[in-house]
Amino acid sequence: MADTPKTKKSKNLNRTPEQKQKQPTSPPDHLIVPSTPNSSLRRSIRLTATATPPPPSSLQKSPHSTAKPPRNYQNAPKSPSFTISISPTSPEPTESKKRRKNTENQDMDLEKKRILRSAKANAIKSKKRMYYKKVVFDGVEFSAGDDVYVKRREDASSDEEDPEVEECRVCFKPSGRRIMIECDDCLNGFHLKCLRPPLKDVPEGDWICNFCTARKSGAMVKFPEPPNGKRLRTAREKLLSSDLWAAHIESLWKEADGTYWFRARWYIIPEETSSGRQPHNLRRELYQTNDFADVEMESIIRHCYVMNPKEFAKAGNEGDDVFLCEYEYDIRWRSFKRIAEIDNNDEDGEEADGDEDWNSCEGSDPDTEDNIEYEEENKRSTLTGPSSAHPMAANSRKGRIFGLQKIGAKKIPEHVRCHKQTALEKAKATLLLATLPKSLPCRDKEMDEITAFIKGAICDDQCLGRCLYIHGVPGTGKTMSFLSVMRNLRSEVDAGSIQPYCFVEINGLKLASPENIYTVIYEALSGHRVGWKKALYSLNERFSNETKCRKEEIRPCILLIDELDLLVTRNQSVLYNILDWPNKPNSKLIVIGIANTMDLPEKLLPRISSRMGIQRLCFGPYNYLQLQEIILSRLRGIDAFEKQAIEFASRKVAAVSGDARRALEICRRAAELADYRCKRLPSLSNSAATGKVLVGMADVEVAIKEMFQAPHIQVIRSSSKLSKIFLAAMVHELYKTGMGETTFEKLAMTVSCFCTSNGETFPGYDILLKVGCKLGECRILLCEPAAKHKLQKLQLNFPSDDVIFALKDSEELPWLAKYL
Amino acid sequence: MARESPAEQAQVLVKSRICNPNFIFSIFSNPPDSNYSKLKYIISSSLTEACNNSVLLLGPRGCGKVAILELVLEDLLEEYPDMISVIKLNGLLHCDHNCALKEISRQLCQEHQLLFSKMASFDDNAQFMVSMLRECGLAHKTIIFVLDEFDLFAQGKQLFLYSLLDAMQSVTSQAVVIGISCRLDADQLLEKRVRSRFSHRKLLFLPPSREDTERLLEHILLLPTNSSFPHEYVTAFNVKLLKIFADYKFKEIVDTLSYSDSTVNHLQRFLFSTVSHMDLKSGLLSLENFKAALSTIQRQPKLEVLKDCSILELYILVCMKRLEAKEQELRNFNAIMKEYKSIHDTFQTSNYYARNVCLRAFEHLLQRELISFEDNRGHGQSAEFRPVKLLISRPELYQGLKSYPSCPAILHKLMDRDG
Repeated sequence: MADTPKTKKSKNLNRTPEQKQKQPTSPPDHLIVPSTPNSSLRRSIRLTATATPPPPSSLQKSPHSTAKPPRNYQNAPKSPSFTISISPTSPEPTESKKRRKNTENQDMDLEKKRILRSAKANAIKSKKRMYYKKVVFDGVEFSAGDDVYVKRREDASSDEEDPEVEECRVCFKPSGRRIMIECDDCLNGFHLKCLRPPLKDVPEGDWICNFCTARKSGAMVKFPEPPNGKRLRTAREKLLSSDLWAAHIESLWKEADGTYWFRARWYIIPEETSSGRQPHNLRRELYQTNDFADVEMESIIRHCYVMNPKEFAKAGNEGDDVFLCEYEYDIRWRSFKRIAEIDNNDEDGEEADGDEDWNSCEGSDPDTEDNIEYEEENKRSTLTGPSSAHPMAANSRKGRIFGLQKIGAKKIPEHVRCHKQTALEKAKATLLLATLPKSLPCRDKEMDEITAFIKGAICDDQCLGRCLYIHGVPGTGKTMSFLSVMRNLRSEVDAGSIQPYCFVEINGLKLASPENIYTVIYEALSGHRVGWKKALYSLNERFSNETKCRKEEIRPCILLIDELDLLVTRNQSVLYNILDWPNKPNSKLIVIGIANTMDLPEKLLPRISSRMGIQRLCFGPYNYLQLQEIILSRLRGIDAFEKQAIEFASRKVAAVSGDARRALEICRRAAELADYRCKRLPSLSNSAATGKVLVGMADVEVAIKEMFQAPHIQVIRSSSKLSKIFLAAMVHELYKTGMGETTFEKLAMTVSCFCTSNGETFPGYDILLKVGCKLGECRILLCEPAAKHKLQKLQLNFPSDDVIFALKDSEELPWLAKYL
Repeated sequence: MARESPAEQAQVLVKSRICNPNFIFSIFSNPPDSNYSKLKYIISSSLTEACNNSVLLLGPRGCGKVAILELVLEDLLEEYPDMISVIKLNGLLHCDHNCALKEISRQLCQEHQLLFSKMASFDDNAQFMVSMLRECGLAHKTIIFVLDEFDLFAQGKQLFLYSLLDAMQSVTSQAVVIGISCRLDADQLLEKRVRSRFSHRKLLFLPPSREDTERLLEHILLLPTNSSFPHEYVTAFNVKLLKIFADYKFKEIVDTLSYSDSTVNHLQRFLFSTVSHMDLKSGLLSLENFKAALSTIQRQPKLEVLKDCSILELYILVCMKRLEAKEQELRNFNAIMKEYKSIHDTFQTSNYYARNVCLRAFEHLLQRELISFEDNRGHGQSAEFRPVKLLISRPELYQGLKSYPSCPAILHKLMDRDG
């Protein structure tokens, strides 16, 4: 433990972090150049100011000398020893076939090594392995989750003189105190002063060196020859020219014979994928594979840093060994998939929970991998399409979904990378309902109340009868506020200020039947899936059993039921059962129900409403100021909307429903319309090119109309002549009799009257009937089935004023106006 | 097999054009304010910007909602290969939520070559859908759900729509829900919480205007000049057609056609019948063909049924009519027989048939739906005693009698008397 921080510290000291301001430059536009994602800080700024003495590379050491006793046991998992039957050979064949392109003797080496290792592995399979979270190896600390360079060849002698510090490509001196800039194309480093003409500052955006620009324009360029004849390649260059591997350390362990091993998850460079380097790949891009191998610690060279795009954009001073990884590459299906960031967090959380999960999934891995390998072999020999060897159907869950790894893009689509978002597109993205806002404005009071309620309930020893009923119209942030409260509480649990609890979230509308809720709750609490009757029995036992003194064991459980009104059955037993549990002395259950209607408890049986209706929280509809604030908070920093336009949208929505989703959708639709306008209409594109297109009142108005108005007026206007006459006759009949409903016989009389007195041909009853039915199909009319013929009842579905408005100034039939 | 003559080939070509909605609607795809480009923009922008969207295509039947959508999807599949999976559901088949989700899983499995299990429960399928949405989103794939007859999905508790739209409320998913409905108030049918999750893009499909109809006619009927047909034939055909198009009589025909129904669908059927009437000897379309097609397409089924009736049946209908005019309460077979008898007694007609013959005529009328029982109750009762009502109005009956070739004069007189 003692020397670990020291090495780290000295490393950190040696690198001087420095921040740069940037001037805007226009990126070259003659070819598609992917811009570094979200580059607020650019990778090209390289600040390896002083030479770091490279730690003696580990490869020359014999195994026994490396076996330093790891000192940080306290970080190791609580149950450090268990047996796992990993067959380390499994991923190797594909590995060797894929990676080996240049030399055959490597194959031999690997082959040898593999045999050796598998023999060894078989021998010690039964013995115990010690798993660690951190291992100090050669004075460098490696922990699970780090990324490292791994030697590709055993005999690589050149690795000895592996330089840690990159030299300037022109003067061949290490960077020293001077700033170096990295070409975004060839990744060579240059001193600012060595460039022709010399640069003063690091420019913003992507920068390409003179050599590359010259080469692109067709000229033959020679880089200056290094003074000592042989240029040393950095680890990064070796990796990118596939002489090294990069791997992610999944786990570390010590074998029984004292050697240290780690489980590596390989990274792969774009050239090694099936689709090769794609034009929009970044130079420093790597792909994570789903390919694992057990590797001895000896073959590690040193750390490198593989980051997701966000970290990559932020990273400033990690030096040369920084890589970007956004996608996972499936070596079996040769497809790409984005790595979900949210997921990783979740998994971290789960890992902290218990080792059993981790353990078991480790244990199951060899099987699947064997399987994969086997199938891959099969596929190669037959070259058939998808293998049908999957034993499990994809949609029957039983704990996991099978075959999802098949899904993936064969290539990363270009538009994902090479597209610069305009302000409008950014606005559209932030206005999406799915994007979680950073903050929830205007719901502070309600959130405080929920927090107080839950805290009170958890801290209370008995927590008797804790039910909260939350109601409010849709789109007022009920569920979202509650979930954000839960997130806040979770961080408090992590900090240790409140005791842990479990949280079960159920949506009433997603249950197949109300009784199904027992199954879902039971599954969430215990992990087993049983029928609802059995689940109800076990839940009853769990919540009401007083004899078992397991008070300490049971965590308080928060049960969130969204769309509570869906659980109302005929005898309301489901709701009664659920709301009765909190009243049991040892249940430690807190029920929170969310629904739209305010008076749901009153509609229920008294024994239920007395259990639920005591504590309520109302989410009122947003008023226009709040809606405006919500929209503005999302659009912060994006200049795409006129201020009045937002106000107009929020006023309109506040007047109708106060639904935040609606307001956001209107704004998004308005942005879409504006975007469409400037993209598709060539006459307006000039203004789009010169100035920015702002979303104005007109767009918002169109969006509002689209959302709130039925398009019946347009349909009536464009319908056939006879249907217009038909509708006019309907209105006429309505005014004459004062009755909304009429029969087809009467109406046909009126229509034939109209026609004969105005010189139109009366087409006959059957055609008229058909026209009426067509109108009924569009629900402009409400009508009975046509089989009733002359007795068919008809009624206008829209206000007669709308019909009059639509028909009044019809050009085809000017005489209609006199009947309206 | 003998080589077909150019006329036959031309007929086949035009017929196949008429039956291919993609061809017909391709002329509507150019202008920027067309539904085609709007829809394409909505879908492709949600493709490239990785967002969720939902659109409703509304409009009367036969205006090309599905056809335009198919065109757009076809283009997009070409433009972005391997990035789109289309799931098609129909409200008539999958209005039940269980069945809809199962169908989605089935199509997803088929699309991605996964094994599908029929036994999976609602929960399993819902979970499968959610995780598929996520995985596809991560792989930059968009799932497009096409819900035909959207209004039928909005029955009942709308569990399916809710779970579908709620699954789309996540950043990782990329999906577009396209609802197609001829009900203009389809979005009002949604429950509040479902509506709140629906992004209300609406595209309205309208019947083509007069000018569009003319363009469409030329687009469909004119033969291509650069094809395998003999050159002289093509020019002759096209010249003849253009002459017909310019004729005012033809314009009248189009007017009468669009007078009652101006949708593309209607036009299509009209043209198909025209082309079927084409004279294969000359190989050219004539005005008579169009006229003949118009008369076949504007049928008057009730009048035609009347024409097929026997004289006795006409008697029964007139009797019914008289009973209705007298506003007699109970109108069943016995009452009709009484009336029939009284007519016979007063006018001494030659057509008097026995009761059982009349009963058969009566039953025949029932089958023809010229009359029907008043209500559905009393199935046990024999037909003679159940009250019946007339399903044909007086003017129609009058017209029918007039056009009946050998109608007894007495019936005309009777009709005139009470009218």
